[in-house]
Amino acid sequence: MIAQEQKPMEEILGYLEGKQKIVAMGCGGCATFYQTGDKKAVNEMAEKLTKEGKEVTKIILPLGISACEIDLSSVFLEKNRRAIESCDAVLVQSCGEGVQVVREYLDDKMGLAKSVYPANNSMGNVGGGPTDFKETCQGCGECELGKIAGICPLTACGKGLMNGPCGGVREDGKCETDPEKDCAWVKIYERLEKLGELDKLLEMREPHAWSKMKRPRTFKIEKPISLGRTIFGSIPGYVSFGLRKPFTPRHEEKAEGE
Amino acid sequence: MAKEVYSELMKEVEKGKFIWTGELEPEKAGSVESVVQAAKDLKGHVIACNVTDSPQSFATLSSLVAAYKIQEEAGMEAIYQLRCSDRNRIALLSDVLGAGVMGIKNILALTGDHVALGDTPDAKPVYDLDSTTLTYMIRKIVDEGKDLAGNEIAEPPKMHVGAAGAPGAAVLQAEAYKVKRKVKAGAEFIQTQVVYLPEVLDKFFKELGDLGVPILVGIFPAKSYGAAKFFDEAVAGVDVPPDYLKDLEKTKEIKDKEKRKEEVDRINVEYFTGFLEHLKDTPAAGCHMMAVGYPRIIPELKKVVE
Repeated sequence: MIAQEQKPMEEILGYLEGKQKIVAMGCGGCATFYQTGDKKAVNEMAEKLTKEGKEVTKIILPLGISACEIDLSSVFLEKNRRAIESCDAVLVQSCGEGVQVVREYLDDKMGLAKSVYPANNSMGNVGGGPTDFKETCQGCGECELGKIAGICPLTACGKGLMNGPCGGVREDGKCETDPEKDCAWVKIYERLEKLGELDKLLEMREPHAWSKMKRPRTFKIEKPISLGRTIFGSIPGYVSFGLRKPFTPRHEEKAEGE
Repeated sequence: MAKEVYSELMKEVEKGKFIWTGELEPEKAGSVESVVQAAKDLKGHVIACNVTDSPQSFATLSSLVAAYKIQEEAGMEAIYQLRCSDRNRIALLSDVLGAGVMGIKNILALTGDHVALGDTPDAKPVYDLDSTTLTYMIRKIVDEGKDLAGNEIAEPPKMHVGAAGAPGAAVLQAEAYKVKRKVKAGAEFIQTQVVYLPEVLDKFFKELGDLGVPILVGIFPAKSYGAAKFFDEAVAGVDVPPDYLKDLEKTKEIKDKEKRKEEVDRINVEYFTGFLEHLKDTPAAGCHMMAVGYPRIIPELKKVVE
């Protein structure tokens, strides 16, 4: 998921200064998850902009349809062609990916040169939940996790060191850059100790190969996902998810049985 | 250890002598006069001097230029400090080759404090390499005449590379693994972060076992209470003993400048006599004196060991 939060309203209004007709578009993917581009967020945005005297057309994307998946989201853009044609600006309530995919579609497919603005600040890939999330992977294109106990130091270490810890570890094992953040290399050490693989720490890990990180990166798959087949195929999984027992961690289950 | 010995520092190590190194800090200034003067003041007291590279990410004049100047103008051998914080492997290679041409014979390969800690926190941190891989790269350049990608280097420089150790590290075992890893990667000497407590030193040596390279233990006789307090508060893994700190604090009450200096010197000699007596019985090959701007204390302390 791409974490994101809404920009300060002053900044958004700054972009929209002098623009009267606004299209506010949400996103049914990550932005719905982080409540920055779901139905409620788009409605609230429209309300605030209306209060500022603007005329707003809302494009709300249903759950599962992300702004960045243009083959799906374009249906909603085409449906609102007239409003987009006559608007002064499009405000996209998604991550920067969504903003730019929409912008490109307007430029190249719809032939509409429009001001497109972001409503959110996106902060990259994160995992976890339901309320706390953490960035653990930067999608560098050359995964190092197999070499380092399943913890990526390029992302989890404040300096992104392949060979740590550095001399800046705090007394409590936190990072010199932030007293709230764990030192990734102390975590790696602790995990390798549990795994009985501390000897691995004697080996130097080669510098990371950044050649896979040439930006902008592009990506191709042979054929697109078959949505129908995937959805039908997932039904048994959803059923078992719905029927699941209240979650008990395995080791506790075992302890009870003993 | 490299087969050949290129620097005065490593020659002294070979001879099995107790080594003293010093430290010089270029300033945020367009001049190195003060550094050259400080090097002159240290001449005869230490075999070589570290020249810091934007310590704690406070950007200062180039450590390479200052290292060259102290060798040329003060006749002091330099241990050129080089951080990974600010340069990628291409820039590091350039600087290492340049250092060879400038007559630099020792490099201390450092990861470097995060830029967020310094006076330019919005800078983009680099860390393409770390202290271990930089050490490895330098050895590859010197020993094989090749860079990290395997490209040939004509007329490779002849120099030694050292690395840092942190005896006071919060997770000492992890630190010990790292120091051993650096030695495996080619580090020929280790200079440690400042140590004040004998027990910290003992634990460090115990954890390292026989490292096979000389270890120079960092000490910091503070020339004022403020300097000691700064170390205590700002430097990770360094605990300044409260009694020593308290004694120095009391000197602030002495109005007469000369008398105050005398009292500070007395406190340092008293404290470090005990510490150095202890150090003599450890595997330490020498002492790295980070007494920046405080050369007058060095002869007093050297007496303890000699």
